Amino acid sequence: MNCPAVRDLLAEHALGALPARDTDAIDRHVAWCAACRKEASELHTAAAILAFSVAPAEPGPDPDLEDRVVHAVQRSVQRRPVQHVAPSRGRLAVAAVVAAMLAVSGLGWGAVMAGRAARSDEAAQAQTDAAENAAVRFRHLLETVEGADPEGDVYLATLAPAAEGGGGGSALTLVSPSIRDMAVVLVNGVPSAERKGAPFTARLRGPRGLHLTVGTIRSLDASGSGIVVRDFDRDLGEFHTVIVRDASGNIVMRGTISSGAPIASPTP
Amino acid sequence: MEGLLAGNDDAIRTLYARFGRPVYSLGLRLLGTRESAEELTQDVFLTAWRKAARFDPGRGRLSTWLMTIAHNLAVDRLRRETGVSRPTLVLVDEVPDAPGLDEEAVLMERDAAMRALETLTEAERRLVSRAYFRGLTAREISEADGIPLGTVKTRLRSAMIKVRKANEGKDLL
Repeated sequence: MNCPAVRDLLAEHALGALPARDTDAIDRHVAWCAACRKEASELHTAAAILAFSVAPAEPGPDPDLEDRVVHAVQRSVQRRPVQHVAPSRGRLAVAAVVAAMLAVSGLGWGAVMAGRAARSDEAAQAQTDAAENAAVRFRHLLETVEGADPEGDVYLATLAPAAEGGGGGSALTLVSPSIRDMAVVLVNGVPSAERKGAPFTARLRGPRGLHLTVGTIRSLDASGSGIVVRDFDRDLGEFHTVIVRDASGNIVMRGTISSGAPIASPTP
Repeated sequence: MEGLLAGNDDAIRTLYARFGRPVYSLGLRLLGTRESAEELTQDVFLTAWRKAARFDPGRGRLSTWLMTIAHNLAVDRLRRETGVSRPTLVLVDEVPDAPGLDEEAVLMERDAAMRALETLTEAERRLVSRAYFRGLTAREISEADGIPLGTVKTRLRSAMIKVRKANEGKDLL
């Protein structure tokens, strides 16, 4: 989506009246386009003014709500302390840079080998190797990208093909205290017959059935590979399932993002 | 914000005292029930805690940030519950109260908001309300009113900019 197309929709975006598909596209655009981001910010301020125009509810909320809010936040602090790091400038083109670097990084190679392995134990070992290596590679990549945050926790999913499908893939989420969270979904070795199912849409599934679209892989390269990267202005810590669907909505691959301890954390 | 990040009791209560009621009121208007509005309020403050480190006061006001979170969460919730790709918001009253000084308005934010809305014509207020509070897209408004789509988009945008400009330089929002 280019700037004129985005600006055409920014007012509706600020008003929350766009379909999810358009909202995602605009979020991706304003993440790197400073001019559109400025206008989006102005319009969101106007939308907030509309919010404050609502008459105070009578009666107000239950008096216990304040305590519930305080306790809910404090429980979350105890479960997962957030490190306070000043917002990073120059972070906005990170996703595009990381995407380009990942495309040549070999990330996901283990999943390809798993798909080609003759024996199940070989496949399992290849998947394990991929799990151990991919997050480390990702962190190394982040350390080289200006504006990226290597201080976040990296969680990994190995994507397995649907019952009769082939290929494999990897997915990463970076849950960061200081920059926008990021998700990377990479598919590899998709058989040629299945490549006709493009475009492929990668989504994250979270609590209460909430879905987030990471992006659409329009087509795969000659080796059946494709990648999509997106940063999010929301916490990805609760999104644990990755699903890749073809153009008909059929599940092509899926995987579960490691929950609990991250696979790769910053070195103290 | 540092207090919120650390889970400091006073910091959370201070934030709640200032924004709890507006968030709850917006939630009640959009979601229609006290229970949903209270759940939304709790979710808004939890989300604010999760994102607090990313809040950059140089790029926007705290009030805008919080109310955007509240509106987005309410829209997300409605989308999940209705399974549609755009919000179908509960209509409590279609247009904000008539502009003017409301003697009973106790929140300064609301007073500032109402003054900003005073700059809109009745048609403009109605237009932005249908989008913000009812989730109608420009296309749907265009079809319902028999007005060209481009005209609706232009009017929406100019009305929003008018509201923004009316509030420029104010310290409240």
